Amino acid sequence: MDPSELDQINAFLEGDSELREKIKDQVNEFDKKARKMVGLLNRIHFTPTDALPALLESVKPILNDCQAVIKALADSVPPNQFWRWKDMWSNSLRTAVFAAVLVEYLSSGQLASLQQVSEQLGMKEEWKDRVTLTVEDYLQGVISVVNELSRLAVNSVTLGNFDQPIKISAFVKDLFVGFSMLNLKNDTLRRRFDSLKYDMKKIEEVVYDVSLRKLTSVPTLTST
Amino acid sequence: MASSDIRTTFQSFRDDIDAYNDRRERLIKASRDITNLSKKTIFLLHRLVLENAESLDDREVYLAAAKKGYEKLREVQNAYAGLRAELEADMFWRYERQVSPGLQEYIEALSFAWYLEHGSLIPFSEVQKSISDSDGKAYFPLTVADYLLGLSDLTGELMRFAISGLSRKGGRKKAMEVCAFVRTCKADFDRFTPFIYELRKKQSVTTQSLEKIEDTVYAICVRSSEYDLPPEMLDDIVGSISQSSRSKRGDEDEE
Repeated sequence: MDPSELDQINAFLEGDSELREKIKDQVNEFDKKARKMVGLLNRIHFTPTDALPALLESVKPILNDCQAVIKALADSVPPNQFWRWKDMWSNSLRTAVFAAVLVEYLSSGQLASLQQVSEQLGMKEEWKDRVTLTVEDYLQGVISVVNELSRLAVNSVTLGNFDQPIKISAFVKDLFVGFSMLNLKNDTLRRRFDSLKYDMKKIEEVVYDVSLRKLTSVPTLTST
Repeated sequence: MASSDIRTTFQSFRDDIDAYNDRRERLIKASRDITNLSKKTIFLLHRLVLENAESLDDREVYLAAAKKGYEKLREVQNAYAGLRAELEADMFWRYERQVSPGLQEYIEALSFAWYLEHGSLIPFSEVQKSISDSDGKAYFPLTVADYLLGLSDLTGELMRFAISGLSRKGGRKKAMEVCAFVRTCKADFDRFTPFIYELRKKQSVTTQSLEKIEDTVYAICVRSSEYDLPPEMLDDIVGSISQSSRSKRGDEDEE
């Protein structure tokens, strides 16, 4: 190879690896925030219903902080190279989606849409070739929420909230119908979707227990 | 979101996922076709340099072979022109893993033809130019990794080229040239292995190819040292013997 060509390629590769380091640092920051939110959200399992809003409020500022990190990522990634680098941060991003969706569900009982989450995380349309929230990342986050809710169904009963499992059950069923509409190939999303049925089963068992014992105020098929 | 909204939302997710999978399949198929075409071109080049035998000058044989090779590779270039819309903007990096294998095979074939024509490595810019339209706009960006990995496969072809060409006139001299060339390639690529993971694996194949050529060149040197004759004369002696044995066998067949 011609020496100038050799140097050019070398410089190019060095540039790439510097960029990788830079993004890695930003992802570390992102990851810290994501973990912090997960830590806080773990408390939903032992926080009484009336104290829940305050807990959820404490997560929101961290969600907002994610905007700065995501903006920094968007500034680092070269145009059109979103898919080249996205694997580096998709774990953190999915965790952030998980936090946003869970907080929204526990606050309003609604599923936060992809659009809503993406706005909450400060994603901008004009960056979408550099940083964006993909369907896959969003759905992965949503599945994590379902995993968490099956646990919450059990623990809310322990806390004396007998209506929570009934609400969770209805919500998760809707989501399951949604997921069943997708043509998934054999990838991680498919495997995680397959795990949803165990969450459903677990939630159903709780619903069964509380309904049979007439512990719930929500009318269900078994109590009518 | 109410239940009915969830359904509409997931419907749009389904479209999104389906579109991705369909495009991915299309690109895998296209890439497989490109791999096949490129492999055929490589075989063609090997055949052409061996066939167009002794009457012509080496240089002319190589140039003619390279020309035919380029012609054949135009089919690949046309295929890439057709994929342009599939790989626009941020799409290239989304499907890079599907495109890469065919692209590397293409670069291997192209660089072989280039070597026959110029006796050197094809520069990055030339490869990119070959997959660009007449205005010089690239169908998609060429990555340094694909470029280097494609070139890395070239060394295997050169080993075949050197060894199967030994029996030709001037084949021994050629083998030594190729040996030196592959040696520089290996040294050049070694510098890049920390950056590109797959290159490390390919380098060990390159090393094997290099050793095969080196062993061959060694044998040539050892044997020719026993005769105090210039290499061209040795070529002529060996050539005339194999020629006469061939015609003798031809006589027998006729009987």
